[in-house]
Amino acid sequence: MDAVVEIFGNPWVSLAGKVLLVALIVPLSAMVLGFAEMKVSAKMQSRVGPYFAGGRWGWAQLIADGVKFFQKEDIVPDDADQPVFKAAPIIVLMGTVALLVVIPFGPGLIFQDLSVGIFYALAISSISTIGVLMAGWSSANKYSLMGGLRAAGQLIAYELPLVLAVVGSVIMAGTMSMGGIVQAQIDAGFPFVVVQFIGFGIFMVAALAELTRIPFDMPIAESELVMGYVTEYSGFRFLFFFLAEYANMFTMSAIAATLFLGGYWLPFVPESTLDYAGPFILIGKVLVLTFGMIWFRWTFPRFREDQLQTLAWKWLIPLALANIAVTAVLKVVL
Amino acid sequence: MSIEADAVRHLAEAQVSVELETEDMTLNIGPQHPSTHGVLRLVARVDGERAYDVKPVIGYMHRGYEKLSEVRTYPQITALINRIDWVSGYANEIPFVVAAEKLMEIEVPERAQYIRLILTEMARISSHLMFLAAYPLELGAGTPLFFALRERERVLDLIEGVTGGRFHPNFNRIGGVKPAAGSGSTSRKVAQDLPAGFLDGTRFAMDKVLSVCDDIENLVAGNEIILARTKGIGIIPKEIIAAYGVSGPTMRASGIPFDLRKVENYLPYDRFDFDVPVGETGDSWDRWWVRFEETRQAAMIVQQAIDGIPPSGPLQAKVPKVIKVPKGETYVRAENPKGEMGYYLISDGGQGPYRLKIRSSSFSNISILPWILEGALVPDIIAIMGSLDFVLGDVDR
Amino acid sequence: MTSSPSEATAHPLQEYADSVAEVVGGTARITFDTIKVEVEPKDWVEAHTKARDDLDLVYFSFLSAVDWANEVEAGDPLSEKVEERFEVLTTVSDLTEGRRVTFSTSLDKEGASIDSLVEVYAGANWHEREAAEMFGIDFKGHPNLIALYLPDAFIGNPLRKSYPLLSREVKPWPGTVDVESMPEKTEPSTENPEA
Repeated sequence: MDAVVEIFGNPWVSLAGKVLLVALIVPLSAMVLGFAEMKVSAKMQSRVGPYFAGGRWGWAQLIADGVKFFQKEDIVPDDADQPVFKAAPIIVLMGTVALLVVIPFGPGLIFQDLSVGIFYALAISSISTIGVLMAGWSSANKYSLMGGLRAAGQLIAYELPLVLAVVGSVIMAGTMSMGGIVQAQIDAGFPFVVVQFIGFGIFMVAALAELTRIPFDMPIAESELVMGYVTEYSGFRFLFFFLAEYANMFTMSAIAATLFLGGYWLPFVPESTLDYAGPFILIGKVLVLTFGMIWFRWTFPRFREDQLQTLAWKWLIPLALANIAVTAVLKVVL
Repeated sequence: MSIEADAVRHLAEAQVSVELETEDMTLNIGPQHPSTHGVLRLVARVDGERAYDVKPVIGYMHRGYEKLSEVRTYPQITALINRIDWVSGYANEIPFVVAAEKLMEIEVPERAQYIRLILTEMARISSHLMFLAAYPLELGAGTPLFFALRERERVLDLIEGVTGGRFHPNFNRIGGVKPAAGSGSTSRKVAQDLPAGFLDGTRFAMDKVLSVCDDIENLVAGNEIILARTKGIGIIPKEIIAAYGVSGPTMRASGIPFDLRKVENYLPYDRFDFDVPVGETGDSWDRWWVRFEETRQAAMIVQQAIDGIPPSGPLQAKVPKVIKVPKGETYVRAENPKGEMGYYLISDGGQGPYRLKIRSSSFSNISILPWILEGALVPDIIAIMGSLDFVLGDVDR
Repeated sequence: MTSSPSEATAHPLQEYADSVAEVVGGTARITFDTIKVEVEPKDWVEAHTKARDDLDLVYFSFLSAVDWANEVEAGDPLSEKVEERFEVLTTVSDLTEGRRVTFSTSLDKEGASIDSLVEVYAGANWHEREAAEMFGIDFKGHPNLIALYLPDAFIGNPLRKSYPLLSREVKPWPGTVDVESMPEKTEPSTENPEA
């Protein structure tokens, strides 16, 4: 974003501009992905989806929903732990927003190309876990507590496959910076998913679990826990959770696209056009991955908690470790 | 004001008694809950994710039908009792009118019997489709719901076209059925009693039901996660079934091939060719699968009945204007979608019964809950309860 | 199908009814295709045990009661006078051919009590609870004879003929908050999960 600095001249103004842009991506991506979920799921179930808000196509549905959530009464339960209750949604959203900083939208089009890019991303995304626990505990509701505890177990369990799946890609690229990983794929001439397909699969499964989407939505489990740790939230606090989920879908898919699918680069696109075409290519890949996530959600029911943990500890982690070992050996040998 | 505040505080304390030591938590599942099929309350002592000592508390919907039926006349009671199991409305009336007709010793004309059978099987299809839709939803899969409900709407529209009501038809009369609206008196022999297009519409609807059964089978029967959530969960052995009086698809899923349609003669089922699906192990998956196959069989029965219905005939036997059932008592039971429903009718010669005992299937079906939920995980509680397929109106009467 | 035992051709169920009466030791009659066997209250449990073990009637359908009374508060009175009593009915059936038998016994209204059937058929548990709260019959040996349907503060036995159907003018609304107590406060502490 040095171009931004040049436009504004003043580093403080450009910093404000960057922050504003990052903040804007969250509601925008959430709205687009939320709308996509509504329409795609409707088509899968032979319904129409949003129809009235915005001229027979329903594009304004989520704008209307956002306004609706904002104007609702702010209900905080009497027995709830007030500061923790109010801070929880903000912390969950913070983890998502901070992730956007290291996603490369094009060569040089990255908010901050940290040299420990992917390490920072995975660390920051863990902060949302604390927010979820805070929400479950402070709600003064047994169902929320059960949802929060399930979330704690699930999110911590699936952090490990998430991290280990990424290591294979890092080994192949030789750097942890996100821009550097894309560059390594451009230099190699093929996206890393061709050899790291196991890592890609594990990453997508673990990402679904981190997002607490079906088939891993035990913490929310609408038919059992009424809404899990989100039960007592209404109005704009619920909107924060809602935004956080869909914006997180965007960021997790973007990270997967960057690490495995080549980010803003496609094999047959000339490199000179990547400055303008890059963001579109990345967003295209993100949309494909989120379509897959939506498809999974409406096809499968949810795992039971112990089946979920079995999947993580007995299958995904050994598989990811084996993947790392093979990748490392091959990197040295070849 | 102070009474209300005390009561509110009492409610709050009853709900939020979470201690910091690792003790068991007493969790109220219900009466308001997305998965309890109505106002059922389970008080469970939960240790982590395992529930012990589950006590069902019922009676939130007790409407006192047995007492009410002592002060109502027979035609009025048929309007009441189809609200017992409201998902399969028409099927609730059948054993009652058959019992009254037995005591009056009148014979129902054949066309009326066929119409009763068609509507009963359509009620069975409607009830089972609701189950096939709602049970995967409780496990988390949202899509079979829309497939099944779409076809269920067709069936309900047909029932509404004939009887005037989707769930509470009130269509049976002592001695037969009611002619469709606007088609004249009961003694007309011309076949204008069913609405125009009913027979063709039913044929089309049954074809659609069979095709949606194939769709649902593709989506659910091969779904590994649904199988992992239901196979081996909530096995009910045969001794428990017999001792507790569990009936219907739940009983057949545990391997007991007993179907009241083949044994009792309340409707002319012996003229039709249908199979009775029987499960093997008695787990939740078998209970889903038995109801799924029964939907198919019911659609085939309706197709056969449509082909074989007598083209004309009276719809109601000759009965006096004011119906008085002579003295006597009898018990008639029928295979309702949820299980065995029976009416023990004691009549004294008056316009209403002296005592009507309603034996509803879900009451006995959920009396096994304390036994079967002992030590179950909380998600399994939902899976098991959903697979028993009960309705609170049936439990509480 | 009519029930006229005096006709030349006997009812198809007559033979089975007689065999049942012989095994359990009661009197059988057929009323409109229903076999009704009357037993003495003291033989109640034994008759059911024999039915379950010797006659293969393993399936428990229901248990209920009838209040035979000459003066009624709700509904029409009886056309002829009867002996005032409670009649307890059960229906059991087998799971192969669909034979079913209704057992009946008569209890005095004062201090009506009878042995519980939970040892013979576990499903009698909830049925007896309902009969107890609706009629006021005591089932001796029942592990948990508390109200099943009715709320805690309910007074009276609704299905007795002496219980009128009250309107809200007679009995005012109990209040805007109906708080039900948790079950453990009204039950004994040691019980098996079947209760």
